[in-house]
Amino acid sequence: MSTLLAHIAISDGKVKRSSLEVLSHLRQQADEHGHSVAAVIIDPDADSYTGEVQKYGPSTIYTISDSIFENHRNTPLLRALNKVIDEVDPYLFAFASTEGTKDILGALAANQQAAVLSDVSAFELTGNGITATRPVMAAKILSENEAEGDRILVSVRSGSYELQEQDTDAEVIALDFSMEESDIKAKLKEIIGTSGDKIDLSEAETIVAAGRGAKDEEGQELIQELASTLNAGIGASRALTEAGVIDPSLQIGQTGKVVSPQLYIAVGISGAIQHVAGMANSKVIVAINKDPDAPIFDIADYGIVGDLYKVLPPFIEELRKIKS
Amino acid sequence: MDEKFDCIIVGAGVAGLAAAMILARNNMKFLLIEKGEFAGSKNVSGGVLWGSDLARLVPEYWQEEDGGWERFINHRRLTFLDEQSAFSIDFKSSHFNETPYSGVVVLRSKFDRWLAEKVQNAIDESDFAMESFIATNIKVDEVLMENDKAVGIRTGEEEFSADSVIIAEGVNNLLTRQVGLQNDYVPADHILTGIKEVIRFDQKVLEDRFQLNGLSGMSNEFVGYATDGVEGGGFLYTNRDTISLGLVAGIKDMREKEKSPHDLLNNFKMHPVIKDILQDGEIVEYSAHAVSSGDKRVMPREVYKDGVLLCGEAANLLMNAGKAIQGMDYAMRSGILAAETIVEAKEQADYSSQTLKQYKQKLQGSYVMKDINSFQDAVHMLHNPTMYQDMPNLICDFGRKFFTIDNEPTKKSRNLLSESVKKHSSYWDLMKIGFKGAKSL
Amino acid sequence: MKFYVCIKQVPDVNAPIQIKNGELIQDTDRMILNAYDASAVEEALVLTEEHGGEVEVVLVGPDKATETIRKALAMGADKATHIRTSGDEAYDSASYAHILATFFQDKEYDIISCGKQSQDTDAGLTGGMLAEHLDLPYATNAVGLSIEDSKLIVKRQGDTGQEMIALPTPSLVTCSNDMNEPRIPSLKGIMQSKRKPVESVEIADLDVEENKLKSKTKVTGYREKPEREAGQKFEGEPEEIAQKVAQLLDEEANVV
Ligand SMILES: Cc1cc2nc3c(=O)[nH]c(=O)nc-3n(C[C@H](O)[C@H](O)[C@H](O)COP(=O)(O)OP(=O)(O)OC[C@H]3O[C@@H](n4cnc5c(N)ncnc54)[C@H](O)[C@@H]3O)c2cc1C
Ligand SMILES: Cc1cc2nc3c(=O)[nH]c(=O)nc-3n(C[C@H](O)[C@H](O)[C@H](O)COP(=O)(O)OP(=O)(O)OC[C@H]3O[C@@H](n4cnc5c(N)ncnc54)[C@H](O)[C@@H]3O)c2cc1C
Ligand SMILES: Nc1ncnc2c1ncn2[C@@H]1O[C@H](COP(=O)(O)O)[C@@H](O)[C@H]1O
Repeated sequence: MSTLLAHIAISDGKVKRSSLEVLSHLRQQADEHGHSVAAVIIDPDADSYTGEVQKYGPSTIYTISDSIFENHRNTPLLRALNKVIDEVDPYLFAFASTEGTKDILGALAANQQAAVLSDVSAFELTGNGITATRPVMAAKILSENEAEGDRILVSVRSGSYELQEQDTDAEVIALDFSMEESDIKAKLKEIIGTSGDKIDLSEAETIVAAGRGAKDEEGQELIQELASTLNAGIGASRALTEAGVIDPSLQIGQTGKVVSPQLYIAVGISGAIQHVAGMANSKVIVAINKDPDAPIFDIADYGIVGDLYKVLPPFIEELRKIKS
Repeated sequence: MDEKFDCIIVGAGVAGLAAAMILARNNMKFLLIEKGEFAGSKNVSGGVLWGSDLARLVPEYWQEEDGGWERFINHRRLTFLDEQSAFSIDFKSSHFNETPYSGVVVLRSKFDRWLAEKVQNAIDESDFAMESFIATNIKVDEVLMENDKAVGIRTGEEEFSADSVIIAEGVNNLLTRQVGLQNDYVPADHILTGIKEVIRFDQKVLEDRFQLNGLSGMSNEFVGYATDGVEGGGFLYTNRDTISLGLVAGIKDMREKEKSPHDLLNNFKMHPVIKDILQDGEIVEYSAHAVSSGDKRVMPREVYKDGVLLCGEAANLLMNAGKAIQGMDYAMRSGILAAETIVEAKEQADYSSQTLKQYKQKLQGSYVMKDINSFQDAVHMLHNPTMYQDMPNLICDFGRKFFTIDNEPTKKSRNLLSESVKKHSSYWDLMKIGFKGAKSL
Repeated sequence: MKFYVCIKQVPDVNAPIQIKNGELIQDTDRMILNAYDASAVEEALVLTEEHGGEVEVVLVGPDKATETIRKALAMGADKATHIRTSGDEAYDSASYAHILATFFQDKEYDIISCGKQSQDTDAGLTGGMLAEHLDLPYATNAVGLSIEDSKLIVKRQGDTGQEMIALPTPSLVTCSNDMNEPRIPSLKGIMQSKRKPVESVEIADLDVEENKLKSKTKVTGYREKPEREAGQKFEGEPEEIAQKVAQLLDEEANVV
């Protein structure tokens, strides 16, 4: 029996749903193959999240609480993760594929001489490793992969698995950790534009995404209005993050975020493959575009061919009626 | 940069690449400039490259395992369509299996890039391996003229000087106009638009459906319902595991009949006979491109001037006399002839029109201008609605009657024909056309 | 400052592809400079233009990748090293990181830049691995770079906001394409690129430990994504179709 370990990411004082998705899947895999499941939380207040994590079936929860983890920084996080691995000796260590994970996964794998597959959309344990599916070629197609060895790291795209509650009496083990600030050569000087109370796109149920077609002020106002009517997160294509109209953290696509909401409304977005790479897994896609041949219509469940300035006002009004 | 080139070629299409190959082989210092991201990136042909000039540029190209071409043609078909039927003249012969082939099907984005690699190899082996270049993603904005003689080119802020410039810019010949070899205004009825889809099949299915063997291929031209009453015609060529299917249609006529290229192509694809051919195919590419009409009346007033030569479609060298579109082969031959002329000009150290006019003579003496001259009537005839409307209908009508066996007394085919003629045309019209046709082909 | 930029040649994801018996086939075997690496080159050029220094690109790949090296040189990089492979090896990010680490062992540099990921595989691992092997401080997903007091100031895109990080030299950074628009080489640049020095290194001469080259991961095949069908498309009066779709979202799709 080996241990399957899930990393639990905390963001804005909340457990990331995508981490719990990973944990749920590990639980299921462990049951199937007779392994045990552990989780690790690394945060200044790691202990305050154990209650929630426990609901998803780990037998052990490791915590590392230190104020050094106030903000994401790769040096202390790597140090902590390496320590956890030494301590827990997991056969498989699984992460949600957040920017934080992307920042450390390669270095961690190199340090541990582990086999690593990043950004998978599905994985299964095998006798001597895992098989995993990865979207490639700007998510146009899927590749099937194998990773072999006695230590495997994997990161999983958000929305790949359903949450499955399975309450346990997990043992909580706090691990010692200390690190001097002076050991950190990469100095974090400033943080700009944290989302605060904004909706986390990777977990949003509804997303309104704006593209070049909605670049001007009037367009942006309509987008805001639509989003607030639906209580949706706002996302954007690269055309708008590049132009500085919308915060770069809200870019959706190959360079930006991968999202999988119930409803995705693409407004004035052409549907370039690099954008679609980030949103094709949405359950229902609505596209509003004045060009009837825009590629976004090829994947939209509901396409509205028309000028967004004319379409959005009645659309918003009708949605308001439905909502009330 | 004060380096001077012997020649700058504008455009890495078939014409420009052919010219570049000859220059490289003759140890000339030259620059080949292409505005596309790579040679062939935006170029469109149906496309059969007719004739054997390719073997002059890339000897024994057929030996290459994965060359730039798709299939050689040993099976040709000309099909007349009415709304429901297809009447074909079909010819297949093992005679065409011999190399050098007399026609190969190409996909331009692959073919041009492959040919550009061959040119690069030739440059690497030339005396100017370090001084001759193929530069892509660069658009030539202007041919620099001094005293009405070309002295180089300008792209953006950069200028480069050369003893000569070969303009091989294709059908949208802005530079040709800039140097004063053509009027700015070209009447719309002399421009056609070509649209094409590449449709993929399982390779085995494709080979069975078209009776292909190894790398043999088929070309099929269509007249009649293919363009739904608009002046023009359709084509179907077999590639390795795809077909190129498309239309060439008159822009003016299309506008007058309020049809879009897209509608026409869809209409063509819905024809019952074509539909059967396309079963289980998957569209993998769509492209559109202008084509010149091949009408001599819109040719540039001259193909040379001091320091300048024009080749390929920039000079409107194209012919569509009914049995095939010939543009790439003309582009290739004219590119070769232009480059040979530049080589001679360098030997004589004279790039003036005095020397360069030999290009025109070479062109006149070649099959290119000979064919263009002698088939002009056929080109004009194709503009005649009888040719793309009545004639195909008549032929199909006759076909239907001829091939129908319905347990009634059978009419003599002579009578059948006369019935069809009466229905779709008059003897008089037909005689006119027949007479013209016999003369023009 | 001496910049090394690791550049990779990747297939053009925009070109048509097909899958035959689990294998990926590109209709045209068109290869390009990884877009993220192009941004890394651009940024290195901008910084050395401003602060002085030299930009060298390093590529691990087969002979035909020379084309990609020329592209970076045409953009303005000063020189290049081409670590040659046969092209048949099934290397993963870890293998490339080992090869690059071996190459950098005896080199002097201020900054090594990588792309944040390969455009075709989106792995995003090589940079971090290389930093670990070379024991360098690093930052990933840079969306802006500047130099202050001989420190590299990296603006990186994190999960929620941007983090400003000061890296001492030597260090490593991986670049997003969100930080600039890579320049298109000028004709002069293209002409000069041919004369710039490209050092060729055979992979065998690098003495990378054999077992480190062996990939622990492998691609066993490719397959199509489950097709997403186009749904209903509405054209007509904006007012009408907007209302119609809003109602459908409520009644048919049940998502509002
Ligand atoms: C390596 C790489 C990574 C990339 N990563 C990403 C990524 O993560 N995310 C991303 O989005 N892009 C990414 N891109 C860029 C991507 O290729 C596209 O350029 C980008 O998505 C285009 O954004 P857009 O659709 O808003 O703009 P455009 O393509 O310009 O489309 C604008 C659309 O708006 C429509 N429109 C205009 N006016 C109106 C109106 N009044 N009413 C209705 N419709 C209107 C137009 O018809 C058009 O279809 C990446 C590119 C590369 C090379
Ligand atoms: C649908 C269709 C089907 C056809 N079918 C056939 C067929 O079956 N057989 C056949 O023989 N012909 C066919 N043709 C015609 C054939 O494609 C052309 O005649 C041929 O491509 C002409 O070659 P070219 O080299 O003169 O021009 P092009 O192939 O058009 O090349 C011109 C090049 O110059 C470049 N360029 C232009 N301006 C500049 C500039 N300012 N700076 C830098 N670069 C520039 C362009 O990007 C282009 O690469 C077809 C055409 C179409 C559209
Ligand atoms: N073969 C290679 N040669 C040079 N750099 C490489 C190579 N492979 C990966 N890299 C670097 O690593 C980045 C991509 O990492 P990855 O996504 O792990 O493939 C690229 O943007 C390059 O900077």
